[in-house]
Amino acid sequence: MIPLKYNFRNLRVRWVTTLMTVLGTGLVVWASVLTFGLVDGLDHALVSTGDPLDLIVLRKGANDETSSSLETQAASEIANLAGIAHSPQGEPLCSREFVTILTKPRRNQGGTTNVIVRGLEPVGRTLRPSFRIAEGRDLKPGVNEAITSRQMASRFENLGLGESLEINNIDFRIVGYFEAGGSAAESEVWTDLRDLATSQRLPSAISVVNLRAENDDALQQLTTRIRDDEQFKLKAVSETAYFDEQKSASIAIKFVGMVIAGFLTVGAMFAAANTMFAAVASRGREIGTLRALGFRRRSVLLSFMLESLLICLLGGMLGCLATLPFHGLSTGTANWATFSEITFAFRFGPMVLIQGMCLALAMGLIGGLFPAVRAVRLKIIDALRQR
Amino acid sequence: MQLLKYIWRNVVRNKLRSTLTMLSIAFSLSLMTVLYGYLEMQEAWGKEAIKKQRIVVMNKQGFSGRLPIAYVERIRGVEGVIDAVPYSWFGGNYQEQQMPFAQFGTDPKHVFNVWDEIKIDPTEQAAFESDRQACVVDRVLAEKRGWSIGDRIPLQGTFYPVNLDLKLVGMFDSPTYSDSIWFDWTYMDEEVRKIAPEASGSAGTIFARCVSSEAIPGVVGAIDSRFVNSENPTRTQTEAAFAQMFADMLGNIQAYIRNIALAVIFSLSLVAGNAMAMSMRERTTEVAVLKAIGFSRPRILAMVLGESTMIALLGGIAGIAAGSFCLHLLHSVSAQFFPLTFLDLAGPWLIALCLVATGIGLVSGVVPAAQAARLSVVDGLRVI
Repeated sequence: MIPLKYNFRNLRVRWVTTLMTVLGTGLVVWASVLTFGLVDGLDHALVSTGDPLDLIVLRKGANDETSSSLETQAASEIANLAGIAHSPQGEPLCSREFVTILTKPRRNQGGTTNVIVRGLEPVGRTLRPSFRIAEGRDLKPGVNEAITSRQMASRFENLGLGESLEINNIDFRIVGYFEAGGSAAESEVWTDLRDLATSQRLPSAISVVNLRAENDDALQQLTTRIRDDEQFKLKAVSETAYFDEQKSASIAIKFVGMVIAGFLTVGAMFAAANTMFAAVASRGREIGTLRALGFRRRSVLLSFMLESLLICLLGGMLGCLATLPFHGLSTGTANWATFSEITFAFRFGPMVLIQGMCLALAMGLIGGLFPAVRAVRLKIIDALRQR
Repeated sequence: MQLLKYIWRNVVRNKLRSTLTMLSIAFSLSLMTVLYGYLEMQEAWGKEAIKKQRIVVMNKQGFSGRLPIAYVERIRGVEGVIDAVPYSWFGGNYQEQQMPFAQFGTDPKHVFNVWDEIKIDPTEQAAFESDRQACVVDRVLAEKRGWSIGDRIPLQGTFYPVNLDLKLVGMFDSPTYSDSIWFDWTYMDEEVRKIAPEASGSAGTIFARCVSSEAIPGVVGAIDSRFVNSENPTRTQTEAAFAQMFADMLGNIQAYIRNIALAVIFSLSLVAGNAMAMSMRERTTEVAVLKAIGFSRPRILAMVLGESTMIALLGGIAGIAAGSFCLHLLHSVSAQFFPLTFLDLAGPWLIALCLVATGIGLVSGVVPAAQAARLSVVDGLRVI
């Protein structure tokens, strides 16, 4: 095998060409990884929301919380069903909630979009992953107070601590910021169930019931019990399934991201091939000498492939590193399933970076293959005769 | 002319390298064509909407708020309004599946006054008005789905708690593909009243057409101030602003597309510049000979720049053509997201993309061209 040092030295001698190709592939990897990180962040916001034992009870036929509604009677009956987990204080982990969407302006002239406002009882907080108040305090029921997440406060007008959000001519004062483990709840504004329903002039309205089952068996029983009840006309979906369904929102973005990455990668492959063809063309005599010294064809092939890979992987690493400043940057887009804004943060986890490096790998392999094949096909005599 | 011929010969000299550079540029520019075509379409769609003198009324709170059906009649009475109709987005499933086409509950008698650019056969309109369960669809949508007059179209409600059993009685022709079904709002509302009386009687949104564009600001103000102290205050905006609202929901997609595009342009300049530099390095002796026989520096400069520009432009044009074809395909696949055909979209931005390709060519040629122009004859001839 031809020592790797040979490749490194070659790259150094042609450093301008090497640098240009590295930067070119690096930029492509950067743009692709940025897109992957966006999709991953969106997915994470939906995935981390579901607890396997949590159920969402919706009206039969409703696809999401915002278009669901329950009768008061049915909602109270559900709370008494067997199999629902209880808090250490003996309270059933069953939360009646009212969900509505309001059209509100983004900060910095970002246009308007829909925001989910959820009215819920205190017990609802225990049903969210690692809910905690990060700043300020929790809301008091009955006095029109609301809490939201930091991301929402920075993205929307009137959602900052101490500011007031107008809901149907009633002002709800923001008294605190909460965190819920990066889940979809962090894209919402929370207020008291009764306060919100009253402001909508539907004082007893309930959209959904969220509950936690004691265990897997209870989960199954509750699901069938609610589904088969003729009077309820309701369905219970597991929280995981509910948010899995909403991933269709990210599928479109994922598809677009893949197409962009695909096109750019093919473009970069041609660039890598160009560089390697030039390398082969200008090193005809070297190749001839190597072969004359007794290096086998496959050694020469391997050497050129490795050189191409080196260039592209270097570019890939550079591209991945350049995305790091964007890590955790929060952004938002439309969740078409709920017709409202979902906020999330860019995430560049190992999987995303590996995907980026795979693109670089593909560029190097495919871009280097044909030039390397050309190199080994040279006849020793002809190669040595080259200038 | 002579120069052009010389440049062309140089372009086709190393066919492999030129092709690879062109392909690299073509792939990236076809992507840019699609992305910018999408941005352009949103803009064109807004401009198109302004011409129609239509306004959209919704509850001030947004889509979840109530808009009492009585408002329709009161809006018809506002000075400057030609006609108004309820326009309720039904969002139902067809054959238990979510559908890419839209379904709206509206007023059969008045809807064609509000959308006066949409045409329907008078007998079909009469049938639409006389049967409560009747519906009309865009002719293109009917052809796509293979529906014919008399077919039943059952829809399962998701947003509304009711199912509808519609009967197709007519097809309308729209200058821009609407991808919609229209049915009678009263049919839907009666069904809703049976199940959820408190949810019935809401128009969803109200669309109205004004006598002229100049009248719109006055009408908007008149409507909103009429309902400002009622239980359900309204928010009225032009159809263009309404469409913009949906575009805004996506967030800063535009900034994202522009960033990607910048990265692509920069990357392409590097790639093309690299290829050009490699070509020139191989031709050092040749350039020296040209200079020795009296070629001026500007001429050498023009030759090299011309070559890099020609390669980039050829690749760019191929890419833009491919991208245009993609836009055409996207329109035929999903008219809801790509409402305009490519021909409606074609405009100065395509020329701008060609200029971008030319720019990439020029930038990529600068360094090699300057090096070639500066080359001293003696040094150049000495290189073997």
